[in-house]
Amino acid sequence: MLATLITAVINGLRGELVRVEIDVAPGLPVCHIVGLPDAALSEARERVRGAIRNSGFEYPMSRITVNLAPADRRKRGAAYDLAIAIGILVASGQIRRGGGAWALLGELSLAGTVEPVAGVLPMVATLARQGYRRVIVPAANELEARLVSGVEVHGVEGLDDAARLVAGPRGRTAGKAVRRTAVELSGPRPAASPAARASTALTARLTPVDLAEIRGQHQARWALEIALAGGHNLLFVGPPGAGKTLLARAIPGLLPPLDDDEALEVTVIESVAGLLDGGTLERGLRRERPFRAPHRTSSYAALVGGGPALQPGEATLAHRGVLFLDELAEFDRLTLDALRQPIEEGVLTIARARGHVRYPARFQLVAAMNPCRCGYFNDAQRKCSCKTGDPERYVRRVSGPLLDRIDMQVEMARVPPRVLLAGPPPETSATVRDRILHARQIALARNGGPPNAQLPGTSVLAACAMGSTARDALEDFAVFHQMSARSVHRLMRVARTIADLDGRASVSEQDLRGAGNLRDPALPTADPLAA
Amino acid sequence: MNARDEWIALASVEGAGEETFDALIGEFGSATATFESIRDGRFDAWRRKPLEESGRPRMLTLAVDNLHLAAAHPAERLAALAELGLWTYTSLDPDYPARLRDLPNPPAVIHGLGQRAALHGQRHIGVVGTRRPTPAGRALASKICARLVECGATVVSGLAVGIDGAAHAATLERGGTTIGVIGGGHRFPGPRAHTRLRDEVVASGGAVISEHHPDSHPTRGTFPRRNRIIAALSDALIVVEAPAKSGALNTAHHALSLGRPVFVAPGRIGDWSMAGALALLRETPARPLVGLDELVADLGYFGGPATDSGEAAAKPAGSREAALAMLGAAERAVARRLAEGPAGLDLLVADTGLGPAVVSSAVTLLLMRGWAHAVGPAYVAAGPLA
Repeated sequence: MLATLITAVINGLRGELVRVEIDVAPGLPVCHIVGLPDAALSEARERVRGAIRNSGFEYPMSRITVNLAPADRRKRGAAYDLAIAIGILVASGQIRRGGGAWALLGELSLAGTVEPVAGVLPMVATLARQGYRRVIVPAANELEARLVSGVEVHGVEGLDDAARLVAGPRGRTAGKAVRRTAVELSGPRPAASPAARASTALTARLTPVDLAEIRGQHQARWALEIALAGGHNLLFVGPPGAGKTLLARAIPGLLPPLDDDEALEVTVIESVAGLLDGGTLERGLRRERPFRAPHRTSSYAALVGGGPALQPGEATLAHRGVLFLDELAEFDRLTLDALRQPIEEGVLTIARARGHVRYPARFQLVAAMNPCRCGYFNDAQRKCSCKTGDPERYVRRVSGPLLDRIDMQVEMARVPPRVLLAGPPPETSATVRDRILHARQIALARNGGPPNAQLPGTSVLAACAMGSTARDALEDFAVFHQMSARSVHRLMRVARTIADLDGRASVSEQDLRGAGNLRDPALPTADPLAA
Repeated sequence: MNARDEWIALASVEGAGEETFDALIGEFGSATATFESIRDGRFDAWRRKPLEESGRPRMLTLAVDNLHLAAAHPAERLAALAELGLWTYTSLDPDYPARLRDLPNPPAVIHGLGQRAALHGQRHIGVVGTRRPTPAGRALASKICARLVECGATVVSGLAVGIDGAAHAATLERGGTTIGVIGGGHRFPGPRAHTRLRDEVVASGGAVISEHHPDSHPTRGTFPRRNRIIAALSDALIVVEAPAKSGALNTAHHALSLGRPVFVAPGRIGDWSMAGALALLRETPARPLVGLDELVADLGYFGGPATDSGEAAAKPAGSREAALAMLGAAERAVARRLAEGPAGLDLLVADTGLGPAVVSSAVTLLLMRGWAHAVGPAYVAAGPLA
């Protein structure tokens, strides 16, 4: 007997429909899965057999063939388990279908429980677009699946629940909830969310700090405020202990929340990456702006995306948020250079033999690095122990084109003890965040969309209303530093944000000079007397 | 074999440098006494004492062996000098070039070819620069030397290729006198390409000198030591084109520490060949060479007022206040703070009480005016504020 069910697969960030056909026929008791399954999918037959038996059903002693269509597309993962199991039950006559088309997503455990899977949100969205109205998903993924309108979503805990749903009120199933009486020798289960699984990824967990805890570093704080308000890329250069990472840890507390459209994009990405934690969603959507801090040993695939399982990388996970790269010069060069495309275009393209995928990656880059290997180049107190030429070599590890895309570069010194121990208490994150929010609103109202950092060159001049003295100051500065058109635009964008933070409509002379000071060449260049 | 010959012999022992020489003279009193002590074993007893106790420098086995050899046959050390026809000044001699005595440790001996009198000229000007000059640099060195010859000056340089060579050649072309100070012994007199130039220096009333025994090889370390002799022999030093790490910078620093005026031919900012020269102007009291007339005037060779160019010209009183008056309130506050000493942004914010936006803007303005320099993350007052 033949059964056909619908499930979905993730390609890039989009779901694609997969039809599961199951044929149970007389013959030797074997189970074949065809249609380019990967290892996890091939092992589905073992999980499915265990789940069926432990849910009180009978595993048919027949020849079972599972076909996944379209046959030419490679299928990955364990999200098909539920569809295969239900298909076997239907094909072997253990469920009499109550009628209607069902789409199913979910991984099975041997005990028959339905485990959460990644990418439920985009997969359900695709199913809805294709006209499927009833979807069964793991209970843990129910919240994100419900974000899709026009679909009847059923969250299930176990295979027997799913079987009852498919059978319908007038249908009949043989399943008994055996798993509920199973002897649990492993003790009570911790709440296993996909987020908990994904947290093993090589991403530094930075504990957040409040700006009120950071004394001194006025310029760097100010630069950070401007960067977050205007979406400008920012680089901190300074010796160890200057507070670069500390400031970065304050970023999550300064970021404005995502708006509805952004929240949906981010939630889809996190769904695909298996990072969604049902408990932290607000009306199903992820509202905090992402802040990702991948470690400097991250591989190309981890940062950019791809890998054997074609997963979105950190650059995509930071979409609409901040990507913080600590010790920028220690990252692999090829990996860093791959970030140039998303910084310019906001997307990452990963080409594969069978087509390519595009991941959105419009992140804001915040980076930190030492000025040289020992970290004390140009330090007032400590002598740099690098050999002649080493600081220049160290800095050259970050390619010029990448540096050129970082609007603001701030050189930090260690905070003098006098500043550290005295003076008025620093502003809190809440105060600064309010200013950032306000500036963003002003920019949004004026630019009608892009933050200042992404203003196209054609509209920069219009956006930066300047008086004649300000224009003269800009011209002086541009001539003095022999700036290119691109640099002038960049300077104007930063100045625009400074004025926005101050709530002023026009950009002043002082804004432009202030912006100029944030674009000092902060990196070692050949020092004639270093020898 | 007199005391002077023994002094020369001791000073030319291979491996025993000036530190060892000074220690030996300090311990035993004279070269003669030193040789005696080597022969009778007192020297060996002394050198076996722990370093801290004897206060002597660490000695190479090679040096010890050579000292024993020299003590046994002191005259042999002098044979090579006679063979090459070298004359020698020792620091014992009353007519030892007086300028060299300005050095904290004058060379114990100077071996030379050519005219001894060349070392006692009225006006000595050093002209040094990179070994890989631009055509413009070479031309400038020639012009400077031509003018110096008109003023009756002797040109001192290092006989290296590049600016040094151009300086010697231009001096000879104008019939001037020039001194070449080489970095090794006279048997290894510098670049082969300059064999003829060297002969001409000697033939036209100049001198080629070295502090090393003729057989001693030039090494990495001998050239920077040679530079101190160029600096000391010159009443003033002119640097034409010095890239970062050029040896000419080393010579300039020697000259400055001896209180000799240093003039640097400035060039376009960002030129590779100018990095070192510009750094000299920025970081030392060296003065820019703005023209040949100005140079000879500064040197006092026109009968004009001889100025002590080694010290920066005193700022007219009140120039700082006048400069401050040109600034806006915020810039003035930052400028006043910088005038008290270098400060980073944090200190400027803390000390002026202004916000980082205002301070950043003010600093940018001061940098553009050239009234401040950025040194890493700190700012230093410059121009009228310095």
